[in-house]
Amino acid sequence: MNHRGGWALIKRSWASWLQYRSFFFVLAFGWMIPPLIYLFVWSTASEPAPIAGMTPPQFVAYYLVLILVNQLTFAQTNWTVGDIIRMGSLNSWLLKPMSPLYNALASEVAGKVVMMAFVVPVSIGLAIVLRPELNATLSQGVFFFIALGGAWLLRFFWGLWLACLAFWATRADALLALQDALIFLLAGVVAPVALLPGVLQTIARVLPFYYMVGFPVEALTGQIASSEVATGFVIQAAWLIVAIVIYRLVWRSGLKRYSAIGG
Amino acid sequence: MTTSHILVNRLVKTYQVPVREGGLRAAMRSFARRTYDTVEAVRDISFSIEPGEIVGFIGPNGAGKTTTLKMLAGLLHPTSGEVRVAGFTPWERHADFLCTISMVLGNKSQLIWDIPALDTYRVLGEIYHLTPAQYQQSLEELVKLLDMSELLTKPVRNLSLGERMKCELVAGLLHQPQVIFLDEPTLGLDISMQSRLRRFVLDYNRRHGASVILTSHYMADVTALCPRVILIHHGRLLYDGGLTDLAARLAPFKLIRVGLSADRVVADSALPIGVEVLQREGDHLELRVPRSVAPAIMAQLLNTLPVIDLVVEDPPIEAVIDQIYQEGASLLKAPSGDNPPLDFHAQRMEASEEKTR
Repeated sequence: MNHRGGWALIKRSWASWLQYRSFFFVLAFGWMIPPLIYLFVWSTASEPAPIAGMTPPQFVAYYLVLILVNQLTFAQTNWTVGDIIRMGSLNSWLLKPMSPLYNALASEVAGKVVMMAFVVPVSIGLAIVLRPELNATLSQGVFFFIALGGAWLLRFFWGLWLACLAFWATRADALLALQDALIFLLAGVVAPVALLPGVLQTIARVLPFYYMVGFPVEALTGQIASSEVATGFVIQAAWLIVAIVIYRLVWRSGLKRYSAIGG
Repeated sequence: MTTSHILVNRLVKTYQVPVREGGLRAAMRSFARRTYDTVEAVRDISFSIEPGEIVGFIGPNGAGKTTTLKMLAGLLHPTSGEVRVAGFTPWERHADFLCTISMVLGNKSQLIWDIPALDTYRVLGEIYHLTPAQYQQSLEELVKLLDMSELLTKPVRNLSLGERMKCELVAGLLHQPQVIFLDEPTLGLDISMQSRLRRFVLDYNRRHGASVILTSHYMADVTALCPRVILIHHGRLLYDGGLTDLAARLAPFKLIRVGLSADRVVADSALPIGVEVLQREGDHLELRVPRSVAPAIMAQLLNTLPVIDLVVEDPPIEAVIDQIYQEGASLLKAPSGDNPPLDFHAQRMEASEEKTR
């Protein structure tokens, strides 16, 4: 593993992404809109009486945390991997004595830093205005950060294997759009998963998408009990392993195909 | 154990390419069931290249040059055959192998558009694990050779095509590779930038003893840089040897331009036997003579005719190459002595007539 080169790549990507910061700020703003809408919908709806035990300030807290988690876990790199494979830019990655995974990770990490420069101040501003109620314990805080790391890795590798299908299909990014739609429905964006009707909630808690966004949020805001958090970690870790295994298989056979037919 | 830097043995590459006819119905049919054509991009090519050699890969578009280069650089798996580059099997993409080679593509950039090239170089220094001293020394040398220090800190998108190519070359050679694949490095550059880059490649090759394989459609690149050429046509190796030998083999004659004194008319019949008059413009004649007897004929012309000016030249290399590209293997298959002389002159005349039409 060429960590030295990888780290340098992250720094360089960061420098180049800072050039486009206004683009990323606009992008980040766009991603904030759906959760913001549902923040207002649910906090208004819960004004007469709490919904599933959640009061308006709790909905505000839930969605503000969700905005941060969604931004931090959104794997924007995966949208470009397909193009890189299709347009032959992969060649210059393959000619370097370094795993091409670093290139994807570099833009991923760099992008996060740039976007956080926008999202964090905006979230703090919203928090001052909307007054969320968040009574997280220390252990919930610790669970949150672990779950957040797992969520990012899971969303990144899950998207990456989908993106690598570009080795076979020209528009594999349609699957990324499908993934985003499923995250919107099942990961706690349209409504906290705790509020979903019975069967749907069960399905949501089994599929990987909840563990990409909703799980860390609920671990912090206390929608799920500590025992459920433990189960959640197990399921998240299992999906992460599945995602990495699939990614490796798809990458390897994709690369074989690529080097058989050329870029 | 061989000392060759590059060994290619019976290399074959075939592709399956999906085919379908135009139109909606054909599109629907191919959606349900695709049909494929087998394209033989490289057919049974063998050659070896010694350390420090500069070899020109020539051939028409689609001949299989880039496919071969990609196999040598490890980007493509061959269908069959053996390749060793600096002791490695390229497509295993061993880190040490990748540190030994470099591939610079004239039509693809590895630089990041919006930041100065220097930022990319720093990352490359880290990727190739250069020490700060190695990095600095290598960068300074390349920047000096290409005279481009003022380009380092400008965003790449603000550079001209030629300036960008200089930056690409530095990026490709920063880690001091021993085997360099240059695919059309002078594509789209002006004459002086082309010759500057040629000088640079030659300098680099001399300083570091690196082997260079170059593909180019500009014959000036090939004649200036490559004592040896490998000619590929329809995926087959047609010729491997010196460029001058190739010209001699294909065009076994020389062109003699003679200027005669104006006070005497010389009839064609007064010329030595074996001489063919290609063109006569007043007192100037353009003659074609068999290469083997050219010296004797020159002596005879000087002795018997009122010669005031005499120039001997080889047929232009572009004409030789054009002939091969168009007629392909048949030219090189015949034993060299029996080759019909290629009518370059007529060809050029036709071309110029085409233009005037």
